[in-house]
Amino acid sequence: MRFDLFFEYFRIYIQTRMMYRIDFWVEIVTDMMFQMVNLAVIVVAYKLTPTILGWSQAELFFVYGFFMVPYSFFTTFFNLWNFADRYIVKGEFDRVLTRPMNSIVQLSFENLDPSSLAGAVTGVVIMYFSAQTIGIQWQLLDLVAFFVSVVGGILIYAGIYLFMISLSFFTDAQTGIMPLIWNIQNYGKFPMDIYNKMIRVLLTWVVPFAFVGVYPAAFFLRRDGLSLWLTPVIGLIILSIALVIWRFGERSYRGAGS
Amino acid sequence: MSKPAIRVEQLKKEFRVTKPREGLRGAVIDLFNRREQSVVAVHDIDLLIPQGEICGYIGENGAGKSTTIKMLCGILVPTSGTIEVNGYVPFKDREKFVQEIGVVFGQRSQLWWDLGVIESFRLLRKVYRVGENDFQKRLNELVDRLALGDLLNRPVRKLSLGQRMRCELAASLLHQPKILFLDEPTIGLDILVKSSIRSFLMEMNREHGTTIMLTTHDLQDIEALCSRVVMLDEGKIIYDGSLDQLKEQFGGGRSVQVQFEHNTLVENVFESTSGLSATWSKPEAQLDDGKTLRVTLDDVNVPISEILERVVKLAGIRDIAILEPNTEDIVREIYRKGV
Repeated sequence: MRFDLFFEYFRIYIQTRMMYRIDFWVEIVTDMMFQMVNLAVIVVAYKLTPTILGWSQAELFFVYGFFMVPYSFFTTFFNLWNFADRYIVKGEFDRVLTRPMNSIVQLSFENLDPSSLAGAVTGVVIMYFSAQTIGIQWQLLDLVAFFVSVVGGILIYAGIYLFMISLSFFTDAQTGIMPLIWNIQNYGKFPMDIYNKMIRVLLTWVVPFAFVGVYPAAFFLRRDGLSLWLTPVIGLIILSIALVIWRFGERSYRGAGS
Repeated sequence: MSKPAIRVEQLKKEFRVTKPREGLRGAVIDLFNRREQSVVAVHDIDLLIPQGEICGYIGENGAGKSTTIKMLCGILVPTSGTIEVNGYVPFKDREKFVQEIGVVFGQRSQLWWDLGVIESFRLLRKVYRVGENDFQKRLNELVDRLALGDLLNRPVRKLSLGQRMRCELAASLLHQPKILFLDEPTIGLDILVKSSIRSFLMEMNREHGTTIMLTTHDLQDIEALCSRVVMLDEGKIIYDGSLDQLKEQFGGGRSVQVQFEHNTLVENVFESTSGLSATWSKPEAQLDDGKTLRVTLDDVNVPISEILERVVKLAGIRDIAILEPNTEDIVREIYRKGV
């Protein structure tokens, strides 16, 4: 990895952002508001009932806060929602391929979005307060566990979305599948017991978003060790598969005509 | 002789494209059953370009020029055949390979739209691992040659096309590439910018020995720059050689335009030169005053003086002009008729 390049791209990001300062703040504020609305839904639900299938409000908040951490790191480095349109249809991938730098790293750096990191901070704050309400006894090992599951979660996200964007090499057109996946991903924030069996299987074994949110978070709440350590393993498997598909896709890239 | 800059054998690129059916009904059918068709964009071409050459790559739109260039740059993977550019197989060792080439696609930018030009240059310096001293030296040279002094701190979006193109060229040369690929570098530029870019490329080629391969629709680019012309039609190379040879081969011999003192009949003139393999014709409508005629000599052994000697007896000659074969006309003819 070339860290000097990261800082160079980061400099470009800051300079570009400074051109549109208001835009930058608006983005952070809207992002926060989006999260607040989501939390408000949980609050409203718990006005009706003290627990949902044995999960208290604080526990759900905790899971939610945990989920935000890997997710915001992921969006910081993987801000490629418009990949198909910008790079494939408009052909900007040509330029990526003519530079002496790994193509995925290049895409990541070109689209850095550090403002998303605000979400990680919010997530940690939510976790901290809900953990106090629940009365979680933190141990030193928990910090390691937290780190491992966050990294694992990032790997899972990166794998799933890299897989998704690799598909656009083959289809040549924007597919509607990204918004679908994004919606499914949001189900991973809640305990699996509230869903029916099909969704549970989907979120665990097909698009394993449950391993990013609720499973590792449950480790801290319920001390169920297995699912926590599964997170990085599954992340590595998915990312490896995605990288293979990406290589194939890159080779069949045809470029927009000029 | 040193190794060739570009060596290509039996290179082929085939695309699979869907063939949409017509109308709403067709669109619905397409949803379930797409018709696929394979299109051969580049058809078994061979190329050998020595180092330090400027090679012009011409052909009609859709002839396969861009596809070839993209394969040579490592962007596209060929369907079959071998490519070796600067000692690398482009698509295999992509990252190492592109370190030593420069690429400019006329219709796309490699600069950051919102930022000052110099910011993009600084980033490229890091990407290509150019040392600070080398970078400064190189930058000064490029700024000097391309007159970029005032442009460096301006945001790219505020540059005119000509200014931007000069910056694009500089960006592609910061890392001193051995081979430069240019895809329509002069498209949409005015004459002044065009000629300054041409002389810049000549200098780069002369002083640094940079091999240049460019596609263009502007044949003046070719005339000014290229020692070698490769012409492509429907994915096949139909001509590969020098520009002079192209003119000789397809220029249709020497022509002379003669303006007589009086109106003259073509038949009379034609008769007077019979046996000399000379073909007389009327000039274009705007020049046709009844006194002007053109003659084309197919036989190189016939001296022009012989022709003039014979026709001067018919009527006095006011003016003569020897017509050089015009590249543009030649190429137009080839595009229209094929070789």
